[in-house]
Parts: sequence; C-alpha cells; structure tokens
Amino acid sequence: MSIEVNNLSWEIEDKSIISNISLRIDEGEILTVIGPNGAGKSSFMKLLSGDIETYFGEIYFNGVLLNDISIQERSFIRSVMSQSQEIVYDYSVKEIIEMGWLNRGLSNYSKDFDEAIQKIAIECSVENHLEQRFNTLSGGEKRRVHFARTLIQLWRPSGSLEPRYMFLDEPTANLDILHEQKMMKLIEKKKNEGIGVLLILHDLNLAAKYSNRIAIFCNGELVDIGKPKTVLTDKTLSSIYGLEMKIDKNPFRINYY
Amino acid sequence: MSFFSLEQKWFKFVKSSQIKLLTFFLIALISIFFLSVTLGSFDFNLRDLLSRKSDSLDSIVLFEIRIPRVLLAAFVGASLGISGASLQGLFRNPLADPGLIGVSAGAALGASFVIVVGSSFFPEFIFGTFILPFSAIIGASFVISLLYIFTQGFGYQGITYMLLVGIAVNAFASVGIGILTYISTDSELRGLTFWTMGSFGGSSWQLIMPALIIISLTVLWLIPSSRKLDLLQLGEPEAYRLGVDVRRLKFKVIISSAVIVGLSVSLSGMIGFVGLVVPHLVRLLGGVNHNYLLPGSALLGASLMMGADLLSRILIQPAELPVGLITSAIGAPFFLWLIFRIRKS
Repeated sequence: MSIEVNNLSWEIEDKSIISNISLRIDEGEILTVIGPNGAGKSSFMKLLSGDIETYFGEIYFNGVLLNDISIQERSFIRSVMSQSQEIVYDYSVKEIIEMGWLNRGLSNYSKDFDEAIQKIAIECSVENHLEQRFNTLSGGEKRRVHFARTLIQLWRPSGSLEPRYMFLDEPTANLDILHEQKMMKLIEKKKNEGIGVLLILHDLNLAAKYSNRIAIFCNGELVDIGKPKTVLTDKTLSSIYGLEMKIDKNPFRINYY
Repeated sequence: MSFFSLEQKWFKFVKSSQIKLLTFFLIALISIFFLSVTLGSFDFNLRDLLSRKSDSLDSIVLFEIRIPRVLLAAFVGASLGISGASLQGLFRNPLADPGLIGVSAGAALGASFVIVVGSSFFPEFIFGTFILPFSAIIGASFVISLLYIFTQGFGYQGITYMLLVGIAVNAFASVGIGILTYISTDSELRGLTFWTMGSFGGSSWQLIMPALIIISLTVLWLIPSSRKLDLLQLGEPEAYRLGVDVRRLKFKVIISSAVIVGLSVSLSGMIGFVGLVVPHLVRLLGGVNHNYLLPGSALLGASLMMGADLLSRILIQPAELPVGLITSAIGAPFFLWLIFRIRKS
C-alpha cells in the first residue's frame, strides 16, 4: 500500500507551481521534502491533501484516484498538520484534541476514546494542559496540541491493518530543542507503527537524521530523490540554495556558512 | 466504506455539567411559559380556568390570544438565539448577530416590499400569508450571502469589516423601507410600522402554526451539524481535511438561518440583540462547543424572549411597549461591554 504520484503538475494563471513530479510514499517510511522557499513544497502537500481539485497528472491512494475518494473517507486515510489559524472561542485543550476523533460507526470503537486521548496527550507531553484553555498556551504548546489532534485522527484499535498517512508541514516550527527532538522521535515511532509520513523540513540535519528518503524540490521540480546520504551532496545543495555547503561524512553533517 | 459517518452521537461531546445546564434552561423555559401565560393586562388563575368550562371569555382570551402570543415569542426567541449561535460559529466571529449584520433588516425589507408593492399587484392579497414570510426569507438569504462574499477569508480579523458591511446593509434596508413607507397608503403604513418596532401582538393560531412547524423542522435539521461547526473553528482547510464538507455546511447554516430569521421577522418584526446576547450568555455559563451551544441558545433565547414580551405587556399596563425596545435596551449595553472585552483580549 502506498501513495503514488504520477506526472503531477499544477499552475496558477499560467505560472507553473509544480511541474511533472512523480514519486511514491510507502507505508512505514518517512519521506522528507526539502528545498528553498517557493520550491513548491507546501503546494505539493496541499495537492496530496486534496485541498486543490484541478491539476494535471494522477494521485493514487492505495491504488484509488484521490479525486474518487470522498472527503470523509480521505480523513480516515491521512491526517494533515499545517500552520494553523487562530481559534476564536475558548475551547479547552482536550476539546481541540478531540476534534481529531472521527466516528466510524463501530460500536466497540468508542470505548477506547478516553484511553486514546490520554495516551496521545502523554506522548505529546500536553497531558497537564488538558483542562486548560487552548488560547492561553504558548506557540510551541499549541503546535503539540495540534499534533496530538493529528495523531488522534489516525488512531486505530490495536491490530488494525488499514494503511494510514500523515502529512506534516514543518512540525518542529516554534518548538524548543527538547520538544523538537521529542516530536521527531514520536514521528519516527509512528512510522515504525506503519504510518507513511510526508514531511516538510527546513533543518537539513534533522531531515538527514530521521528520513528514510529525501526529495529535493527546486522551482516546482523534483531535483533528486533517494536515501539521505546519496542525495544530500555538496553540489546539489549548494546549487539549489545558492549557498556554499559542505558535508562531513563521519558523522554525517551538513555545514553552511 | 459507507458506514463511515461524521454525524456524532450527540451526547458524546457534551459534558455532564452541560446536560445539567440544558435541563435547567428547559425548566426555566417551562416556568416562564406558565408565568407569561397567566400574567398580563388580563390575569388568569390557571387552576380556576381549567376547572371551568371552556366557552367562557377567559378561556377564549387564554387559548386564542395569550397562548399563541407566548408561543410565538418563544419560537422567535429560539430562532434568533440559535441563528446567532450558528452564524457566530460559521463566521468564526463573536459579533455576528442577525440584527447587527443586517439579516433582519434584509428580511424586513423583503416583507415590506410585499406589503406595499405586493398589495397593488394582488389587490385581493390571496397569497399574503405565504408570500410575506417567503419574501422575508429571500431578503434574509440575500443579505447573508452578500455578507459571506464580503467577509470571506477575513475570519476573526474581519470583525470591524463585517460590522461595517452590516451598517451599510442596514442603511440600505432602511432606505428601502423609507421609500416604501413614503409611497404606501395609510393601511399599508400601519403594517409597515409594525416591522420596524417588533411586536408579538395580533398573533393567531392560523398565522403562527405554519411558521412554528417550519422553524422546528429547520432547527432539527441544523442541530446535527453542531460538531462540524466545532471543527470549522480550526479553519476551513483543517475542517475539510477532517472530513467536513465545508461548502455544504455553509449552505446549511446560511439557509437555515435565513429561513428561521426570515419567518421570525415576518411574524414579529425586527427584534434586536437577542441573537448576539443569548449565545454569549450560554457560552459564559457552560462552554463553547456547539453541541451544547446550539440547543442552549434556542432554549435560553425562548425564555428571554418570553420574559421580554411579558415585560412589554405589564410595564405600562394597559398599554404595551414594543418588545424590540426592551431587547435593545438590555442588548445595547451588553454589546458595548462585549466590544470592550474583545478589545482587552
């Protein structure tokens, strides 16, 4: 089971945003998209999320065309976290997390509800904030709460074999170093549970450390895709970022000045 | 995969404290109903009345005049309360109110248009009872769609913008009503004045029955969308990714608000501030989730409106104050307080 993208192109008013991208995201892998600002990373994620309906090429989720999957069914297959908007009313943190809980009509499914919320709140270290008002949290805490909501959306009873995917646009933005590492470990753990993860990251070292594969985007095109150590080269990175970069092999580290 | 559904079991996302509050609102509603029915320019002793025969003058006043009037007040209050709550949810803006943003004015303009222009086209006014509410609904829908187009994407930042659009719409509607007043005949004029002041006087079963049924059905159609309104607070793209058909949700909230506000205005005129004040009270008392907020606003709106109508009947007996006067007298200071509160935060 996988997500397959074939010859995906998208343009706004004749300006090409994404051109001719083909790639695959497998279950149980982290595929990270890197590239300079305006490379089309977020647009690519929007296309895969189904936010945009008119594009060229095909997107298949587990062999089914994305446009043939209903809005509701999509929400059970993939969850998305992007930069989120302000929330006007005073919801509690718990209520925000619960918004990711989708009812699928299984009678024995909802009894796990409280347990699942509790467990995921602990994983995202927001368990002490559950009754607090969401709007009183700091930026980093809000981020973790939204991440918990994305995890709840993909929560399944143990033993479920349904394929699931997670699209995360800069999940570590606004996080301190401790919570950045915690978040990446958590994403890795979810990957090991079988979730296919599409990440957008700006921190190249973070990308190199946690990704199974890296896709390099530039000007809406896919420059290279493959294992971090193969695709992250002095030459490619220096040319796409327009900045001199040097890569140490052991330990693997990207330096720029 | 057809068993997937976003229609949640209602009670699952309502706290037990909120259920207690809703029960309390219901008890308050029933008490105020009985109080409103018995008090007025014509006091009743219910026990006496029920033990006597039903053809007495008392029971005619009670069953043909008083009870329809109180019921209409309750339904109009519930309509304004729930449409205020759902519009505030849809616009993600706590200042949305069918009156402030011009929806009631649109409905009044639609109704006035039919009274003045309609009567010259259909002198017999055969369809009057249907055309009037219908054109009020069209007026209300028009204003809501207009607002939606103008405030799209503005969300929370668009408060001022939306209120300004509301002022413009209100001004436009009063120009329209003004012109209609100018060209109207004496008998039409009497009908018109009624819309700008707001009153529950003159209700009869024949007049209110269709409206009560349609309002109840619309409210029942709207309430299952409560959880989707919660998800919408995350932003439209987020709600969409959580499986909410955002376009359909907007359509549902806009149409149902237009229908219930249009019907209410066509029967009772413009009554301000109820749609603004009630949802805020309900939120302050028990929380912001729409599963609680929508039914709570309907119940509390009904109680408050019956109370305001009762005051309008007993304050300067035997005369009557327009009920819109009372709701605005209470609502305007509340609105000021709200603006200051938002400014502080």
